[in-house]
Amino acid sequence: MAMSDSPVTKHGADAGEPPADASPQEQKQMEQAYAQMKRKMSIAEIGRKIKHKVMVLSGKGGVGKSTVSTGLALALAQQGLKVGILDIDITGPNVPKMMGLDGRRLHVESGRIHPAQGHLGVKVISMAFLLDNEDTPVVWRGPIKLGAIQQFIGDVEWGDLDYLIIDFPPGTSDEPLTVAQSLPDIDGMVIVTTPQDVALLDSRKSITFSESLKVPVLGVVENMSGYTINGKAPANSEVQIAGPAGKTLKTTSDAEGNFAITIDIFKQGGGKSTAEEFGVPFLGALPFDPGFVRGGDDGVHRIVSEPEGPSAIAFAAVVAALQDQIVDSDGPGLEII
Amino acid sequence: MTEEMPNLARIERRDVDVVLTYDGAAEFTVTYDDLRHACPCAKCSPMRNEDETSKTLRRQVEALPKEKPQVRTVGNYALGFEWTTGCSSGIYRFERIWDLANRRDPDNGRPYVHGAW
Repeated sequence: MAMSDSPVTKHGADAGEPPADASPQEQKQMEQAYAQMKRKMSIAEIGRKIKHKVMVLSGKGGVGKSTVSTGLALALAQQGLKVGILDIDITGPNVPKMMGLDGRRLHVESGRIHPAQGHLGVKVISMAFLLDNEDTPVVWRGPIKLGAIQQFIGDVEWGDLDYLIIDFPPGTSDEPLTVAQSLPDIDGMVIVTTPQDVALLDSRKSITFSESLKVPVLGVVENMSGYTINGKAPANSEVQIAGPAGKTLKTTSDAEGNFAITIDIFKQGGGKSTAEEFGVPFLGALPFDPGFVRGGDDGVHRIVSEPEGPSAIAFAAVVAALQDQIVDSDGPGLEII
Repeated sequence: MTEEMPNLARIERRDVDVVLTYDGAAEFTVTYDDLRHACPCAKCSPMRNEDETSKTLRRQVEALPKEKPQVRTVGNYALGFEWTTGCSSGIYRFERIWDLANRRDPDNGRPYVHGAW
């Protein structure tokens, strides 16, 4: 990969002037200490300028976490809010492609990284912007990866935001730990799952993980919850479809012959029961929608291409439930003495 | 049960218990021992499934030093209690605290079932 270990740090003019008699090694150490201090101050400033920070995690890969992250960001932006997405998935960054920002480069000015802007003005920062070639893997050991994450948090000029959505790689590893320890006042985390047993098992781990991070779980979202088939049949007639596990699904067409039937491809209701088991909120279920795959590949998210469609409506409901869980900056009105 | 839960307005931490004041001025007292015995985390909850283990948990809780916890809000649906000893993991939904205030079983008689791991 044609990159240094520290892809975006700028030293020099704004890095302070070390004493003239310092050795090169001392100068380097002083520069590093200065940069670190500056970053800490910058992170504190970012904490103030971004009203709400929401982490999106899943225990298992492939549950549609980036799709949910982008969907949440766009649904919030649809409300007229200022939103950013921080794609922390260093080794598999997909958010730029889903946001129509494939091939875009980041603008760096005075040592600050300026995010790219995607659909509905959503600001995006992702490792993908720093790769010379999207086929080239990022092979970094933990400390370098964590340094890059801290740069993504501290060196980015987000401006004022209502919401920052932080998309993580799957699992309960270094990345959420680093973010939770670096970024102040995180509102909480959203756990994405699908209704299959292995995904639910890993989601439970994520919920337990949140307890050790001291970051509250804002809720569980069940993705790929059911696939709805719409069709035509003779008016007021019974329609039968062979569903999974040998089940026959039945419905009746309306007076105009339209029918809709939902197939629960990966079972149903697991996300809700997991949320109930752990006493955390269930934010809602998102339908299985092949349009997400096409939209992700084409860089036009389903919420953008079909803002009144069933998926956009489902996302709006999840976002409303999420906003209900987020405490306003003036607190929940509870006096603790 | 369709009982409507009032809004929890104030928490006063005392030496061995907490006074909960709900909208409408209704006041309830919950001891820290009751609170800690009802911890909803994945480690404490299964211990309440059986009478014997529930009693063991109770003894463990009662043996802990009496201390005032730090209280934090979790989203706007729950509270977390930070103790210097023992378990601080549980997320106490407001419904759970309301049950404790009213001397009801917050688990509603249901055993806790772990995930498959």
